[in-house]
Amino acid sequence: MTKFGIEFVPREPYWKIIYYTIQAERGGFSNLWVTDHFNNRNVYVTLTAAAMYTDKITFGPGVTNPYMVNPVFTAQAIATLNELTPGRVVLGIGAGDKTTLEGVGVEVEKPLAAVKEAVDIFRKITNGENASYDGEVFKIAGAKFLFKPKGRIPVYVGAQGPKMLELAGRIGDGVLINACHPKDVEYAVNSVHEGIGQGGKKPEDVDVAAYTSFSVHEDLKKATKAAVPVVSFIVAGSPSMLLERHGIDVKKAEEIRHALKANDWGRAFGGVTPEMIEAFSVCGTPEMCVERIALLLKSGISQFVVGSPIGYNVREAINLIIQKIIPHFKT
Amino acid sequence: MDYRKLSEMIPAGKWDILSDKLIDFILTSKNDDKMPSRVANAILRQWQNDALKSETGITALLQAAILLEPEKVITAFNEQQMANVAEQIKESLKS
Repeated sequence: MTKFGIEFVPREPYWKIIYYTIQAERGGFSNLWVTDHFNNRNVYVTLTAAAMYTDKITFGPGVTNPYMVNPVFTAQAIATLNELTPGRVVLGIGAGDKTTLEGVGVEVEKPLAAVKEAVDIFRKITNGENASYDGEVFKIAGAKFLFKPKGRIPVYVGAQGPKMLELAGRIGDGVLINACHPKDVEYAVNSVHEGIGQGGKKPEDVDVAAYTSFSVHEDLKKATKAAVPVVSFIVAGSPSMLLERHGIDVKKAEEIRHALKANDWGRAFGGVTPEMIEAFSVCGTPEMCVERIALLLKSGISQFVVGSPIGYNVREAINLIIQKIIPHFKT
Repeated sequence: MDYRKLSEMIPAGKWDILSDKLIDFILTSKNDDKMPSRVANAILRQWQNDALKSETGITALLQAAILLEPEKVITAFNEQQMANVAEQIKESLKS
């Protein structure tokens, strides 16, 4: 059965996120993902609040990174959350957003090694072992919790490039693929499956999620209006190769990038074309979204994550997803 | 403002529609910073227990909505033919 996840950015106050989370849990969403960026509210405080107000939804950072936060601290936070709500916590970890990290003076070096080592350290220490480690990125003389962590915590690796996708398949219990278009998801799933094979696992052992920019409304114009700002940022941060794969004019993307840098929102958002919306979001009426999700599922994903902006009005959008989208995938 | 007294003025038949409107005002408000955490937590507790359409739920929602979006709340009560409640809110906001 397809799982539905939902992502929130704690730029919103905790009470809005928790309201929506309760709504989502009640309506059949199985996973909550909260983003982790230093310039928003803290992910673990937000997740703790979510834990206190919910009963069954699985949750975790979506995703943290090994540069800003040492994996020993990440393990401590996640293990403590897992005491609060045993069996409902997962770790989502990826290489992080280069621009954001460099903004605070953190260099993103050897991302593959950093993610792999962080996952190793996380697993050792949450397994109650002494996490002494001599890696390329992390050197830990010896770190052990003075409390007994409860149970094994699944690790989801966030990935976009082919090497990270392969690593994610090899070491992850789950993979969070940052993609919205069936072409990109299919390409990503192939890389993930390579990794799954290298890890001696079967595809069904790994929960592969499409982590999408999503916008739904009965009125297509309103759905699109909500999607445009998010898509503009995705386009600005996308490599030329990815843009060309979708037939997007690289010069147009460059113009959006410059406009965003200059805080010229009108020019940036005005530069977003229907092709960009199509490539970098799942956007439309409920019927259109059902069609797109069905295509993504054919590419081999097992979880569909509804990410920012979700809709013109988030509460109404969640209701639409619950009433008109999820039921199509529950049989 | 005595929010409990205000909610007691609302007939039970209007709880559903008003609860829905007040939630919308609160969640779409740009005045997030005006929300006291005590009131936010009270709303979440009621929502967790699926009780936002009860008198207690309406009381918490009213308090938040009046703090965040007073004009919208007054308009909503007038639209629902509850001018007495709208008037009461207006008076309380003056003092």
